[in-house]
Amino acid sequence: MKAPRSSMGSLLAAPAVLYMVVFFVVPSLILFVYSFWTAASYKIVPDFVFSNYLNSLMSPLFWTVTINAILIGLVTASITLVLAIPVGYYLVYVSRSQVILYLILITWFSSYLVRIYAWRTLLGTSGVLNTILIQAGIVDTPVGVFLFSRFAVAITLIHIYLPFCILLVVSSLSEIRKDIVDAARDLGASPLGAFFRVIAPNAASGLVGAFMLTFVMVAGDYVTPQMLGGSSGQTTGLLIADQFRKTGNWPLGAAQAFLMFLVSIVIYLAVMGIGRATGLVVKRRPARKAGG
Amino acid sequence: MVLKLVVWAILAFLLMPLVIIVLFSFHASPSLSFPFAGFSLRWYAEVLGNAQLGSALVKSLTVACFTALITLILGAAASLAWLRLGHRGRALLEVLCLTPIALPGLFVGVSLLVLFAQARIQLSTATIVISHVVLALPILIVAMRARLALFDPSLEEASRDLGASQMQTFGKVTLPLIAPTLIASAILAFAVSFDEFVVTSFVAGTETTLPMYIWSMMRRTVTPLINAISTLALVFSVAILFIAWLIGHLRRRSAVAGRTVS
Repeated sequence: MKAPRSSMGSLLAAPAVLYMVVFFVVPSLILFVYSFWTAASYKIVPDFVFSNYLNSLMSPLFWTVTINAILIGLVTASITLVLAIPVGYYLVYVSRSQVILYLILITWFSSYLVRIYAWRTLLGTSGVLNTILIQAGIVDTPVGVFLFSRFAVAITLIHIYLPFCILLVVSSLSEIRKDIVDAARDLGASPLGAFFRVIAPNAASGLVGAFMLTFVMVAGDYVTPQMLGGSSGQTTGLLIADQFRKTGNWPLGAAQAFLMFLVSIVIYLAVMGIGRATGLVVKRRPARKAGG
Repeated sequence: MVLKLVVWAILAFLLMPLVIIVLFSFHASPSLSFPFAGFSLRWYAEVLGNAQLGSALVKSLTVACFTALITLILGAAASLAWLRLGHRGRALLEVLCLTPIALPGLFVGVSLLVLFAQARIQLSTATIVISHVVLALPILIVAMRARLALFDPSLEEASRDLGASQMQTFGKVTLPLIAPTLIASAILAFAVSFDEFVVTSFVAGTETTLPMYIWSMMRRTVTPLINAISTLALVFSVAILFIAWLIGHLRRRSAVAGRTVS
């Protein structure tokens, strides 16, 4: 009985698995191979050199834009997570409000470009925010720094990825049983105390996961910095995208994509290391046992 | 309560830009500032008269339909497989699905671009659809995974014991039970494809989808036309979400029916 069941399963899974292998795994491998090739006068030559990696690592521009992307990523992902936690907490422990959930889903599903455009409208020199400030007499001349600054990039990225982060937080908090939280509250913990002493340690790996996913999305988003960041809008993502669209040095772009991937892994390990060192992230198993 | 206030403040932050866009799409003057100069439908009239925009919309709808259809077929088979796979099979499917979700669109976009270049496949509507399925299929499988955890395999066994063939069991027991979630997930796939921009910008070649058209408009100027297009796109997303919600309600009913049977 068991054998035919699972062989039937493999047969049914085959088309989806094959699809993902052909159009996701294989392309990633080709991209990796490309990163060792060379480009000479708009032709890509198969080769095996590390120059794409070495040239990127030696280029000051690469470091400037990568540090820019990492900074934007860390700041934005941190603020996004801090904002997502109260909403997630509310949805999981206080009220499973369908209205709030659907309002979040609506913002998540509203077009990505439209939201970038909305913030450009809001922050521009003749935009809504400046008009209100001038009419209220707070400033005399329009404030230019709202737009084309790191501030504009950060606020827009938070707006774009907050709904996604809230859903991740909801799913990681849902794993913690409400009785534990109730017990802590009965024993006199404040809501914040219950969060830091009971929920955070138990949900730590889920919350770190939410932070990292948000970080990867934000640091890899090159459209928002390009549209709203002005001169500070150069990030690794834009550099890579330009290699594939304008300059035409695909192998260099491929190498930089993998360097960016490596940077994400290093940051993940660093975040986990900090979490362990501060005792916020505990090994998962004992916590589970205590919970169930 | 403080927490409730904080939550609603965050929701206000999420919704405010969208409300402003909708409001200014009805603005009688092209300026994007207060005081409000009165309501008008002039931008909507311009949008409807724009032929390029119309063809971009049709392109996007076509791509989204094909994406949803292919995702639905592959995803339905994978969902049925999920119920029959052991731990290792499930783990393989999970890794294949979670990795593309956890990567920036840029990475997926450029790797598909090199694949198409290497295989000498001309960039076209087909390559857009192929790429969108790579993004939508994992989301469908991850969404199905949560629902399938509630599926009671004894229902299939009961059907087989009562003499139904494997195909009859699929058609009369398993599929009807998972269909509402499958269809809701396919609608999700449609929505993902309809809004996709980053990956599309690499694999579209000379084709123009709606997000790509909006992008080219955004780069050129700040025109109030974008407000009207954005509002229409927003209404469209809400409508998709509403349909998914309706189907979700049907699903809850069928799940309850399933419970009473088991």
